[in-house]
Amino acid sequence: MTASAGAAGTRPQGFRGMRDRAGTLAASHRSITIIVGWIIVATALPLLMLVPPFSTFQTQSLWIDGFTNAGVFILLALGLNVVVGFAGLLDLGYAAFYAIGAYTYAFAASPTVPWISLHVPFWPMLLVGAAVAAMFGLLLGAPTLRLRGDYLAIVTLGFGEIVPAVFLNADKVTNGTNGIGGVYKPDLFGYQFTLGNPVPYYIAMVAIIAIVMILVYRLQDSRLGRAWMAVREDELAAASNGVNTVTTKLLAFALGASTAGLAGVFTASKLTFVSPDQFSFAVSFTILAMVVLGGMGNVWGVAVGAFLLYTIQSVLLKQLNPFFHTLNVPFLKDIDFVQYQFLLYGLALVLMMLLRPEGLFPSSRRRRELHTEVDEYVGDELGPDPSSSPMEQS
Amino acid sequence: MKLWKLGALMGAAAILITACSSSATSAQSAAPASAAPASVAPGGSAAAGGSCTGTLTIGTEFPMSGGETANGEPAANGVKLLVDQVNKAGGVGGCQLQVNVQDDAVNGVHDPQQGAKNLQTLVADTSVVGVVGPYNSNVAKAEIPISNEAGLLMCSPANTGVGVTMPPEGDTYRTAHPDKIAYIRTATPDNIQGPSMADYMYNDLGVKSVYILDDTETFGVGVGDSFQQEFTKLGGTVVKRDSAPKSTSDYTPLFTAVAGQKPGGVYLAGTTPSGMGLALKQGRTVPGFETIPFGGPDGIADLIPAGGEGATLTVAGAAAHDVYGTLGAVHDIPNPQAFNDAYKAMFGKDPGAYSAPSYSCAQVIVAALKKAIEAGATDPAALREGVRANATNSANSFDTAMGTLSFDKYGDNTHPFISFYKTDMTTNPASWVFVKQQEFTDPNAP
Amino acid sequence: MRPDIVRVLQPIVIIAVSLVVVWLLLGGTQQFMNFLTLGAIYALIALGYTMVYGIIELINFAHGDLFMFGAFVAMWILTVPLGMTGAVDNPLQLTVILVVVMLPTMIVMGLLGTFIERFAYRPLRHAPRLAPLITAIGVSFILQNVIYSVFGPSPVNVPQVFPLTRFEFLGGRVSFLSLFMVAIAVFLMVLLQLFVGRTRLGRAMRSTAQDREAAELMGVDINQTIAITFFIAAALAGAGGTIQGLYFGSVQFNLGFFVGLKAFTAAVLGGIGNTTGAALGGFVIAFIEVFATQLGYSRWSEVAVFTVLILVLVFRPSGILGQQLGERA
Repeated sequence: MTASAGAAGTRPQGFRGMRDRAGTLAASHRSITIIVGWIIVATALPLLMLVPPFSTFQTQSLWIDGFTNAGVFILLALGLNVVVGFAGLLDLGYAAFYAIGAYTYAFAASPTVPWISLHVPFWPMLLVGAAVAAMFGLLLGAPTLRLRGDYLAIVTLGFGEIVPAVFLNADKVTNGTNGIGGVYKPDLFGYQFTLGNPVPYYIAMVAIIAIVMILVYRLQDSRLGRAWMAVREDELAAASNGVNTVTTKLLAFALGASTAGLAGVFTASKLTFVSPDQFSFAVSFTILAMVVLGGMGNVWGVAVGAFLLYTIQSVLLKQLNPFFHTLNVPFLKDIDFVQYQFLLYGLALVLMMLLRPEGLFPSSRRRRELHTEVDEYVGDELGPDPSSSPMEQS
Repeated sequence: MKLWKLGALMGAAAILITACSSSATSAQSAAPASAAPASVAPGGSAAAGGSCTGTLTIGTEFPMSGGETANGEPAANGVKLLVDQVNKAGGVGGCQLQVNVQDDAVNGVHDPQQGAKNLQTLVADTSVVGVVGPYNSNVAKAEIPISNEAGLLMCSPANTGVGVTMPPEGDTYRTAHPDKIAYIRTATPDNIQGPSMADYMYNDLGVKSVYILDDTETFGVGVGDSFQQEFTKLGGTVVKRDSAPKSTSDYTPLFTAVAGQKPGGVYLAGTTPSGMGLALKQGRTVPGFETIPFGGPDGIADLIPAGGEGATLTVAGAAAHDVYGTLGAVHDIPNPQAFNDAYKAMFGKDPGAYSAPSYSCAQVIVAALKKAIEAGATDPAALREGVRANATNSANSFDTAMGTLSFDKYGDNTHPFISFYKTDMTTNPASWVFVKQQEFTDPNAP
Repeated sequence: MRPDIVRVLQPIVIIAVSLVVVWLLLGGTQQFMNFLTLGAIYALIALGYTMVYGIIELINFAHGDLFMFGAFVAMWILTVPLGMTGAVDNPLQLTVILVVVMLPTMIVMGLLGTFIERFAYRPLRHAPRLAPLITAIGVSFILQNVIYSVFGPSPVNVPQVFPLTRFEFLGGRVSFLSLFMVAIAVFLMVLLQLFVGRTRLGRAMRSTAQDREAAELMGVDINQTIAITFFIAAALAGAGGTIQGLYFGSVQFNLGFFVGLKAFTAAVLGGIGNTTGAALGGFVIAFIEVFATQLGYSRWSEVAVFTVLILVLVFRPSGILGQQLGERA
């Protein structure tokens, strides 16, 4: 838990002694803090699931499997946070990079690819997948450098639609709508991962997230991280202060995309199957909602946001029927909640945003902005001032 | 963020979430929602012929929310109907049955990852002896490796993709236990259904040139491809092959573009829920397509009279004349009306296209379970394995609502039938009428 | 005098020439009419996107679902209170039916739009930019689910009140219905142009879009102006929905998402915030789609739409008719 204190980056004011010092220590040794924090969280979560009430709902191995799936979204949210939260570039087609990562691994490690049959091991492919996704990040970033605000958003949205459409339509290469099946599962020093045992996947996922998180923190504190922030706050001022906005923005796209590449490779190996319909706009938007909900710019915040939203969508909403049925709540047990998932999900999004517009855990910097300058116009976190796109009559 | 606050929030959220995901294993049917349903009588050997007490579960795995509800709900209802009937008749070997309904739609669209997660949930519930589903071939491809590894039988009423079962692709999904398959399907695969309509249109309807439109989904593309191959082989001309995703709202430009080539018929490779019903309706309004015959697979020939929710005849309305469809099942089953009546009595509406097939899947599971109990299986693992072994044994055959079924070494129906239907606009409401049926040989026969 | 004539004639000539070119490219009247109808629908929705964006900088993702909602309201009015089932031949009666369906639909949708603005967007007016975007998507889910709960997941038929009579025109057979629909759409667009350009409220909208604070200082009631913008945008979506339902004869609860996405693309393509641009963008998108289909690349039409969008934005970062702005205004 010390990890969270350090992660949020502020020293708890009003707390004295130990706590304060622990906070300082955590902040100055962030990588170690993250590793220790993750080891604690990652061991505590499954152990917690052995204890009632958790243990009565679902077996521990199902919980672990669910956490691993949530981990994929945590990775995605961490990556998108670099683009949207750090650099302030709204990306509505982030799932495209996820798809690219997944297909990269599928091409390299499945017997059913129409044009090739390889079995490249999983671990190096993690890096290759990240690299390929980063390359496409540059490809998308390059032509969009001149674009601002929501024009950028729509181009990324278009990119997010084009990529799955290409995977769908280029069926000679990708098997089209049939997808690529039989993707090899990872193995490590001769130990073969199996679908029946979620623990190895879980450990691998925790390790990947920890590494990504350390890297993301290092980036945030680096010169590049400060450049991103400068570009986000005021691109013109950043440029006139010597920030190379072109490289800065391109790197944001590339590094953000690489994380999605990792997530894609992982998913392909865990699901052993990729198909174009797994990467629709709904996925891009879900990741964005995770980032916004968690608190843009705050690394631990978006991780928690991703975890919560995934659990709401894939566990909570799917289990409302048995839940109310077990409790035998008079009126509620007769409602078929499966049919109202959408409605509840929509309501949850609207309410969460109305109650906490800056996200559950706003980054310290954002919070300061929001609470000190509330009288001024502070809505401009992405792109230009509202007056820059006047509705005109021509 | 203050540390204690974060901790408290996370803790509260975790409690909320786990509280709400309670009893993932309990039933949605009327069966009592006890925490531990599986309890087979201990010492079953003492009771002659094996007996069973407690509650066993049949899982269903379909898209149940959003636009795909129309696919999943009638199929899941088929299972609920059978379970209800079995329970009223005293259960199986003394055991009562319940249904565990899983939904693989996320944001309203079927999702292989959610499907895999659901199947893991069903595998983890030891009372589950068999699963009926899934609907989409793509979901199946993510699930079969899991069920194969766990030895839990899945029976799909709807998957028709060739690669789902047949080698070489099919083998890649059964790597854990290549010799112990755990997936069977009742639907006739695409490589029989597509060509059969090609033959029918070319020979019986005299259509020599055809326009093929698919819905870009696995089923549509697969059945469209095999139709195209056969039609060309017969000597017919395919004037154009188009693909239009489900999101298409306007099909008229597609038909307009091909009108100049004057096709003699149209093959709609896809299903009404994925847009082919609208394609039929809109295509008919384009000059040149007003009267020519339209053909389609079982996604078109849903056999539901006009007025049924989401049925082809309802969606297409007056445009549904001269439509021909195939269904991958035998037509001459003993008493089709009995099933329809029972379904209507329980759910208050007509069955969907996949209600009877998933009812049949559940019948296979129940029959296999009965055999397993009779053979003396008592503990959940033995029952599960017994169901798997009995259902996939090609020596066994099962009497179902779709006729007699048995499954070959890859899990395909050994006696695939195709029945042909056409629309009849003179009845009130408009309906599908039977034309003929045809038996094919086992596609996997040596 | 002369510059005035040129100013009036120039756009007319440009429009006429491009229509002829489009007609030739699409291989004749039949496909041309498909393009016109589709373009009209996209344009009506794109107008709503662009107005809302222009005034509060919000990509209103729920707008496509307002269009869908409108289609259902129109369908309901047609079937339940009016009890229509079949075609009506009398032109006068048809006009009356159309007015009785379309006007209430537009009003209901307008009210719904204002309602959504009041409760989902207004509280977030000073929140971070992305917060209203997420609520917009939430609202979109809610609208879909409301329709889904009432009308179910399958397509619902809209009674074919317009007879499918066609007449020969330039080698194609054109239905009166499609001509009529396009005419209504164009009429609404012209009306909107006049409203925004010539009325007091229109001026208030433009000034609010330019500079909200300044407009407020000049006595413009900001809340009211934004509410009216939402009303008009949603009413146009309702009109689009009515046309969709009557023309295609069926409506489905998830219809709004993709149509909305394309209309949004159209708005950006034309230059977001610019009403003429939005209409133009709608027709451009429709042309790309229909043309790709005509050439036999229907499965690539979506890719074509977004590729063109990216190319246009790369070379004209503010869209076809968008104002070219400095780095920061």
